[in-house]
Amino acid sequence: MNWPMVAFVVLGGITVYSGWRVATAPLVTHAALFLAVTFAGVGGLFFLLQADFLAAVQLLLYAGAVMTVVIFAIMLSEMKDIEEPRPRGWLGALRSPSLGALPFIGAVLLFAVMLVVYLRGAPALPVTPLPAPTNSTVFIAGALFKIYALPFEVASVLLLAAMIGAIILTRVEGGRRR
Amino acid sequence: MNILLYALLKAVIVVAFLGLNAFVLIWAERKISGYIQRRYGPLRVGGPAGALQSAADILKLLTKEDFVPGGADKWLWTLAPAVSLIPAVLVYLVLPIGKTVVLQNLNIGLVFFASVTSFTLLGIFMAGWGSNNKYSLVGAMRAGAQLFSYEIPLILSTIGVVIATGTLTLQGIVEAQAQHHEWFVFPQFVGFVVFYVASLAELNRTPFDLAEAESELIAGYFTEYSGIRWAMFAIAEYSNLFTTSALGVTLFLGGWHGPWLPGWMWFLLKSYLLVFIGIWIRWTLPRVRIDQLMDLGWKFLFPLSVANVLGTALYLMVR
Repeated sequence: MNWPMVAFVVLGGITVYSGWRVATAPLVTHAALFLAVTFAGVGGLFFLLQADFLAAVQLLLYAGAVMTVVIFAIMLSEMKDIEEPRPRGWLGALRSPSLGALPFIGAVLLFAVMLVVYLRGAPALPVTPLPAPTNSTVFIAGALFKIYALPFEVASVLLLAAMIGAIILTRVEGGRRR
Repeated sequence: MNILLYALLKAVIVVAFLGLNAFVLIWAERKISGYIQRRYGPLRVGGPAGALQSAADILKLLTKEDFVPGGADKWLWTLAPAVSLIPAVLVYLVLPIGKTVVLQNLNIGLVFFASVTSFTLLGIFMAGWGSNNKYSLVGAMRAGAQLFSYEIPLILSTIGVVIATGTLTLQGIVEAQAQHHEWFVFPQFVGFVVFYVASLAELNRTPFDLAEAESELIAGYFTEYSGIRWAMFAIAEYSNLFTTSALGVTLFLGGWHGPWLPGWMWFLLKSYLLVFIGIWIRWTLPRVRIDQLMDLGWKFLFPLSVANVLGTALYLMVR
């Protein structure tokens, strides 16, 4: 029995299924929780690829922090937005009986592609892959803080600017809220 | 096949410890709170000093009616206690109990610990939303804000230790302390204080139990739970109390390192000492207000932990 293969099929299946449910769940809270399952499944796939640092960061940032923000965003929106049973527009169309199968077919196709890539290896990568480092944390740290230190710092300045911008945009004149 | 058997064996050991830990701590918390409030605590259930109290409690919880509130979101409501148990079980994977006794010495032990514990919120939110009860939902949202605010100083406070040792494996951090014959609580005292306060807040225990706050919210996200499902939440909570104390011991108090006694005994002794201090604080201090809680997290602990990281890095650079 090929255990990594079994683990891949289980994790990939969970990831793709919950990804499909994110698109089709009628309640937005359920969609958010399925999103968390998707993130956790991707983290598990990273573990399977022995990218342990990436896996832990995926769990910490996406399944932990991003999910918290998503849940708060839902809770701070109005109740009628949450309870709306049938959204109109393209999302509503996707859930209608005629087109409802589309996300499912997409999810199945995605899973099939994942399985094929896993079994046969990625076809013709544009660059030759680096030899897998034994300790990926040290490797990532070296790349981030030595080789690519400048882009890393620029990205963090950009994020800081975005954060300050968001605070200024949402700030009410006069200091006090309401 | 052997790998699978080993994995199963490890899981069984962890789950057995989870039960044992809850068994001891339910009694200990009642007894300690009793003495703090100048009464005897449990005495009459049987065993020395009423030690069978936990058995009676567990028996009561197991035989209660399995009640599902009407209008509950059934899937979320039933899954929530199990989901809240997952992080409680997973963190045992990386805790170094002795020199060679660790379930899996991961390269990224500390990051793994932090990332797994960030799942706790999902279980709480599922319970709060699934109960279809405003107290539950308010409690869950409070818990979310609190976990989110205190996770940042908690993680930052451990980074000082990581910089000093240059490793993320918990085993390596203990080895470094054993080598220098110095516990990190002394050079990293600020880090330890921030870590301990933030971990108490992460555990949702008084003085930070805003999420349960029985005088305002009945029981927060537990409100609709009873019997075995409530017991699962309680087991997870007591297990988290132990594991965060154990992480504090590993990072700051030398882990399993100590004279005369075998390593695992030192580890358990130190961990339960921190657990005792946690219980002591719970029954001594009153609950803080929600704005005080947020102020403490963002305006005091967060800058302090950042300053600690900077100070440690500077010291190591100029040394």
